[in-house]
Amino acid sequence: MNAVLYDVALTAYIIATASALGYLLGRREGLSRFTILMTQTGWVFHTLALVVRGVELRHLPLMTLAETVSVVIWVAVFLELWVERAYRVKVLGAFVLPVVLVLGLALPTGLRVLALTPAASSVWVKVHVALALVGLAALVLNFAAAVMYLLQERQLKGRRPGTVYYRLPSLETLDRLSYRTLTLGFPFLTTGLLLGVFFAGKAWGSPFAFDPLALFSSVMWAVYAATLSGRAAGRWRGRRAAYFAVAGFCVLLLTLGAGVMLQGKHGS
Amino acid sequence: MATLFVAGMNHRSAGVELREQLALEEDKLRGILADLNDRGLCTEMMILSTCNRVEVYGLAEAPGAARAAAFRALGAARGVSLAQVEPLLYHKTEDEAVLHAFRVAASLDSMILGEPQILGQVKDAFALAQSCRTVGPTLHALMTQAFSVAKRIRTETEVGRHAVSASYAAVELARKIFGSLEGKAVLLVGAGEMGELAARHLMEQGAMPVYVANRTWSRAQDLAQALSGTAVPYEQFPATMAVVDVVITSTAAPEPIVRAPEVDRALHSRRHRPLFFIDLAVPRNVEPAVNDLEDAFCYDVDDLRLVVEANLRERQKEAQRAEALVEREVAKFAARLRDLEVVPTIVSLREKLETIRRGELDKALSRLPAATEETRQVMEALSQAIVNKVLHAPIVKLKDSTRDGHHARFAELISELFGLRRPREEREP
Repeated sequence: MNAVLYDVALTAYIIATASALGYLLGRREGLSRFTILMTQTGWVFHTLALVVRGVELRHLPLMTLAETVSVVIWVAVFLELWVERAYRVKVLGAFVLPVVLVLGLALPTGLRVLALTPAASSVWVKVHVALALVGLAALVLNFAAAVMYLLQERQLKGRRPGTVYYRLPSLETLDRLSYRTLTLGFPFLTTGLLLGVFFAGKAWGSPFAFDPLALFSSVMWAVYAATLSGRAAGRWRGRRAAYFAVAGFCVLLLTLGAGVMLQGKHGS
Repeated sequence: MATLFVAGMNHRSAGVELREQLALEEDKLRGILADLNDRGLCTEMMILSTCNRVEVYGLAEAPGAARAAAFRALGAARGVSLAQVEPLLYHKTEDEAVLHAFRVAASLDSMILGEPQILGQVKDAFALAQSCRTVGPTLHALMTQAFSVAKRIRTETEVGRHAVSASYAAVELARKIFGSLEGKAVLLVGAGEMGELAARHLMEQGAMPVYVANRTWSRAQDLAQALSGTAVPYEQFPATMAVVDVVITSTAAPEPIVRAPEVDRALHSRRHRPLFFIDLAVPRNVEPAVNDLEDAFCYDVDDLRLVVEANLRERQKEAQRAEALVEREVAKFAARLRDLEVVPTIVSLREKLETIRRGELDKALSRLPAATEETRQVMEALSQAIVNKVLHAPIVKLKDSTRDGHHARFAELISELFGLRRPREEREP
């Protein structure tokens, strides 16, 4: 049942992605509405899939990497729908949904069960995971905003407007969106990771014991912390901030990859 | 049966000299409309007269004669004969006329595709015809539908968006960089007309304050006053770049006056908030290397021209979507028009039977002086029911006939069978 619901959600996301890309290149208003409808449909089925999974397992679906990535996607799609409405950036779906789709299609590779030590069964461990996932979802949007910024900046610098020039909003809007998603995601990520460090200390004896997922998470956090401090100090904005956002997202993907591929204390 | 038609000339079919001669002022148009109406050449008529087109829209039994009379009258005012005009006229009837009206109102037939003025001009022509009482149900339906189609095209496509003049293109580019221009500071270097125009366009979008720098201090002061801005000494303009968002240059300097190192310093001190250069001077005032700096965007006149060309291409792409929308609306309107055509016959038929019913009822009641109120009501209801039942089948048949285009034949037949007065007879005193 859960698998069927998830497949329906993924199918809706695939259709929404195709529709969003069609809207980006062709600008049929009907496609924009259809994209939102399909994204919402996908999100509702995704929610049902997560609820059914939670009921079947009798715990929050955060115990395997597949489940955690699924929750990242779920939050990211929710944020995408919300931000698109708030910022009136109709083409946002064309940049967020492909990332969602790649992560969604990669799910079956991450079925490994995460470590469940007695300490890890604490509700605070689930909070650690949940907070980190909300942070990651916001950073997916941060990446999308950065890519849009770089594309639009390239069009403006090139002085030869192409299709995306007409479709994308102003640099100012994209830079603000990038900053807002960073300031939303970073506190969640930081709190989640701090809880993780605390419970790692309790569960593994030392908070700094070697674990690939924890290591990559630290690097990812450092990149985002540097970006945020650079922006807050007024040193980095625009293109430079966008490059950092893209770099941060690359480390984010490596972190997820490390969680899937490398054995460590997070996985068993 | 009267035919809907449009006849006229536009920027493609006739030269500007002839168009100018036929573009008449409101009073003269009013006289022509009244005259043609009095002569009964058209049942309905309106004249659209702009600098790019002169067109007559109407409903007439003989559209060819109506067209000739209209253009004879239009030409007579300026001494232009019909023979001179006739070869340059286009003439469209029925669905083609509807398509033309919709395309004109939506600015798909304009010299500058998507320009917004034409809709207002069509509305004015319609209002003039209404005030001359030459608008009937067909032109009314045609024009209200044309306005609605034009509005839909404006909101659902981008055919009217994206600037097609260099100075507006500069404003749009500024908006693509800064989003809103509210409160964005502008520096105008040089006192050229183009620069002033661009500054005014930016100010219309909320940009302020404006600084003006010019080699001649008094000219800088005059222009600053005209723009409600502040004059700054010419030597200080590089330093001023640190506090403004848009720099417009239009000086006659033979070499670039804005250098990359100065811009780099300005960007550094403004913490890399974007700086947009609009270089309207030839030879250029801004060194090309400025565009290579991070957060600096520089457009010269050639760049703006390329943007305008790209905008026009974008409008043309959107026009294809608009044309598809117009075609769908024409099909809908054609059906509505056919429905409208049978309305007079239906009205006449109802009136005829109502007259008979009322007469016969009064006769019958006069023979029953003792009839109670209840009896009178029953007889009233009975007669109405009979009339409605008799009317039902012919009206349904007449309305159905509009779908296959046989309504004219059916309307004729019903008029003959029931001895109805013809629409033409009705108009005669």
